[in-house]
Amino acid sequence: MPVLRFRVERLRKLTGLELEDLEEALFRLKCETEVSDDGEYIEVEVNPDRPDMYIGEGVARAVKGLLGREAGWKPPRVVDSGLALRVEEVPQRPYIAAAVVYNVNVDDVFLEELIQFQEKLHDTLGRRRIKAAIGFHDLEKLPSKQLYYRVAPLDTVFTPLDYPSPMKFSEFMLVDERGEKYGSISVDRERGSHPFLYSGDTIIAAPPVVNSDVTRVEPGTRSLFIDVTGTNPKVVAQTLDIIVTALGEREGAYIGKVRLEGNTPWSETPLLTEKRITVNLEDATKWLGVRLTSDEAAKLLESMRFKVERARDDELEVLVPPFRVDVMGPVDLYEDMAIAIGYDKIVSGWPGKRHGGEILWEHRVARAVRELAVGLSFTEVMQLMLTSPHYVESAGFKPVAVEVLNPVQVEYSVLRPSILVTLLQAAAFNQHRRKPIKLFEVGHVVYLEEGEPRDELRAGFIVLDEEASFEDVQAPVYSILEILGVRFKAEPGRHPMLMEGRTSTLKIEGEVLGWIGEVRPEVLEAYGLEYPVAASEISLEVLGRWKSRT
Amino acid sequence: MGRVPVSEGEYRVLKAMAEKGFAEGSLEEASRILGVERSSLASIVFLLRDKGFVEVREVVEEGLELTERGLSALREGLPEARLVEYLARRGGEASVDEVRGALGGEAGVALGQAVRRGFVEVSGGRVKLLVDPGEASRRVEGLLSLLKGVASGELKESVGGVWVEEALRRGLVKRVRRKRLYLRVLGDPRRILENVEPEVSRLTAEMIRSGEWRRVKFRPYNVTAMPPRVLPARKHFLQEFIEMLRDIMRELGFREARGPLVEIELFNFDALFQAQDHPAREIHDSLWVKEPRYASLSPYSDVVVRVRRVHERGWGYKWDERVAARYILRSQTTAVSARVLASKPRPPVRVFTLGKVFRSDAVGPTRLPEFHQLDGIEGDYNYSFRDLLGRLEEIAGMLGLKLRFKPAYFPFTEPSVEGYVRLPNGRWLELFGAGMFRPEVLESLGVDYPVGAWGFGIERLAMAFYGVSDIRKLYTRDADEIRAMRLHLR
Repeated sequence: MPVLRFRVERLRKLTGLELEDLEEALFRLKCETEVSDDGEYIEVEVNPDRPDMYIGEGVARAVKGLLGREAGWKPPRVVDSGLALRVEEVPQRPYIAAAVVYNVNVDDVFLEELIQFQEKLHDTLGRRRIKAAIGFHDLEKLPSKQLYYRVAPLDTVFTPLDYPSPMKFSEFMLVDERGEKYGSISVDRERGSHPFLYSGDTIIAAPPVVNSDVTRVEPGTRSLFIDVTGTNPKVVAQTLDIIVTALGEREGAYIGKVRLEGNTPWSETPLLTEKRITVNLEDATKWLGVRLTSDEAAKLLESMRFKVERARDDELEVLVPPFRVDVMGPVDLYEDMAIAIGYDKIVSGWPGKRHGGEILWEHRVARAVRELAVGLSFTEVMQLMLTSPHYVESAGFKPVAVEVLNPVQVEYSVLRPSILVTLLQAAAFNQHRRKPIKLFEVGHVVYLEEGEPRDELRAGFIVLDEEASFEDVQAPVYSILEILGVRFKAEPGRHPMLMEGRTSTLKIEGEVLGWIGEVRPEVLEAYGLEYPVAASEISLEVLGRWKSRT
Repeated sequence: MGRVPVSEGEYRVLKAMAEKGFAEGSLEEASRILGVERSSLASIVFLLRDKGFVEVREVVEEGLELTERGLSALREGLPEARLVEYLARRGGEASVDEVRGALGGEAGVALGQAVRRGFVEVSGGRVKLLVDPGEASRRVEGLLSLLKGVASGELKESVGGVWVEEALRRGLVKRVRRKRLYLRVLGDPRRILENVEPEVSRLTAEMIRSGEWRRVKFRPYNVTAMPPRVLPARKHFLQEFIEMLRDIMRELGFREARGPLVEIELFNFDALFQAQDHPAREIHDSLWVKEPRYASLSPYSDVVVRVRRVHERGWGYKWDERVAARYILRSQTTAVSARVLASKPRPPVRVFTLGKVFRSDAVGPTRLPEFHQLDGIEGDYNYSFRDLLGRLEEIAGMLGLKLRFKPAYFPFTEPSVEGYVRLPNGRWLELFGAGMFRPEVLESLGVDYPVGAWGFGIERLAMAFYGVSDIRKLYTRDADEIRAMRLHLR
């Protein structure tokens, strides 16, 4: 989740709140906070559904509403900026939206936050600049009011931001890490082209990689020209809306529209898209379990900075401001109403216990088996299901094992196809302790059955000793099954890890329940075991099914 | 003056000393006289010394010890004597070959010694007896008694000089230096016996049967000394914790469900309204299966139709059935809840599931690539967010925890909530994520009543309960660590 770093002093000024109250309000707005040791900064973890709070102005807008210092939503003042943007065919990144915000008045502190705002929007809403990427420019440094968005060859020359002199874009891509990180999004290798944003003849940006140094924003910059480019038109427009409505909250700031022409779905931007959602009070009451009058509901929504246009007895007409891109339907408004009330105030008592609770048969059987196994001096181990291919392959299970496509560590890259694969590793770990060593494990195994993955709950038992033999495990397993009242049959059997001629298969009504046997010496060796081991593996699902029938 | 307590062993030795009138002698002599095995006598005399009853001196002595050959001569007779015996049985004469056959490896030595002593003569391959057997045995008696004396430890070197020379030469004995213990009873053993009182260390079945216990005193133990460490066979504490959670859910009236560990994205993500470009679906977040990569969606065609409609309307992109068909190691047990709802259960619905989920994480002190989650869903036509919050408080209450609710964000619930509890160490632990399933989720699964859902991460909670700070300890392979784990009562 995005973590924002704000200057405590700035947030205090913006909200008029003491730190403690501010943190409490942010908690209710889904945020987690942590103040730096010197008390100068506050780190705020904002949920990805609230990108409008990635900047101090957005945080203040939300907090002041929640605490009743401001309410509702008033659209900002919008003028015509006189700027025109011609959009040409840019196949790799077709969409661009642009706007002006006047009187932003950038200083050191704000510049720091503006860059953070841009970065967090890139990472979340923009999906690392693919869906949307933002360029901030000093409006007064724009060489021309006529702008162009088009592709140009990779060796086009311009002065990238923070570089002292002009260079080819292709060279920049080689020397700058931004080139490496974002070049693949927008470079068209076949045509040898990349998108560029021009002001008159001058390149002011190579989106989404880098801006030009010409329109650099710095302390003292008064007004901003903002471009947002991307592959998803909805996200491009939303991103611009979020930015201009946040910057528009600054003292004296207002918004300038940019005229668009050519290859674009829009004639002017920002769109400042507002949504209208009808809240049915009866539905809201049922969903939340809280009875609300229309006045109360309206007040709650206004405190969450929505505008209630019309309130009738049974329903509200709600205007959702452009920056609340997370709101899709009425339930999103119900949540905001619940937040405004406070979750702690909604809850009232425990629903209580009821009849009809039930645990799966396989787990009931597992409990009994575990109980009895301990009584027979077996200690339970629990291990991860993911294991190393070495153990799976040396046990002869490779053909039926399910491997992970993208493992993080090779030691955890294949799911155990038999409980003995992990249980024998535990046996090896403990083999030098006092013998006999008796362990059991209950857990799932995963294997391919007719080419499809299938999982099954099993129990495994091992006895390790100077001389461990078939009977050492057979006797306790038979004891457990007999006490559970299982009628089973044993016949000579096969298991990849157990010795031929010393392995039995147990069956219930013809279905395989499990195996008992002595572990093959070659398996012992592969697992680093220096002592003989007798082992058994039982399907608790088969046992559970059988138990549920009888 | 009270009587001095002594152990059963000490008492037995003192009693024997009194009866046999033992005053002093070597340990070996004492062992023979008292009829007490040498090694146990050795440890007892030091205890008696500590109590002031005997004096023990250690002397280094030159002595003799039987060799293998000497031992065998003692057991079977000297070779020359055996030869004489053999010839006497054969009527006084036999061939050399017959002698060799009868005496085996000893034949050479036997013939040499017998000729030297004039017991036999050898001529023309025949061995002829010259003396009668009684005479022969009398003449080697000295050597034999020397060997017996050495064997009993009684003989000192000064005895029988000439025989010693011969025995040494023939390799029947060898010279050794050894430590010997000499005992001297301090005073009259009968007086000592009157002043001691035997104590018994173990009460035996024999003593109970014979009534002997009435006559003895039981030695007190050092009852504060540490015993040897023993550990019981145990169930695993994490599994016990999991079973406790299952019991809580059952008590609340929830029915347990299960779902596949190798899940399809349709239920893991798509049915839960997680867009196909959602960050959780990226390669570095979840684990996929190498082979097979795709499942058939045909059993779920109704879900597929609804999911496509909901995604394309809600998120505004072209929904890809192929992505939904990918096999994935289930990343959240909510996938099971989705499957349960897709089976269209009649409300009221109260279902839980508890099982493993997988994430793309390396094994470390705070993370594992797989861990347990508990997911619960509850739904009915009149079910509300308020009911959900109450239920969550109830579950926390049954765990003995006080909750704090925090508004939260999850793609598939609205409102969303996280539950925090304060641990004994003052830190806040996120206990669960929860919320009302979004209408988009309900529509995808074909459900027409509100459903509340929650998911608990179990390992972190277990760590808090068991005071474990490293998550890897929950999955330790060390059986002794499991067996010694502190037990927590609820």
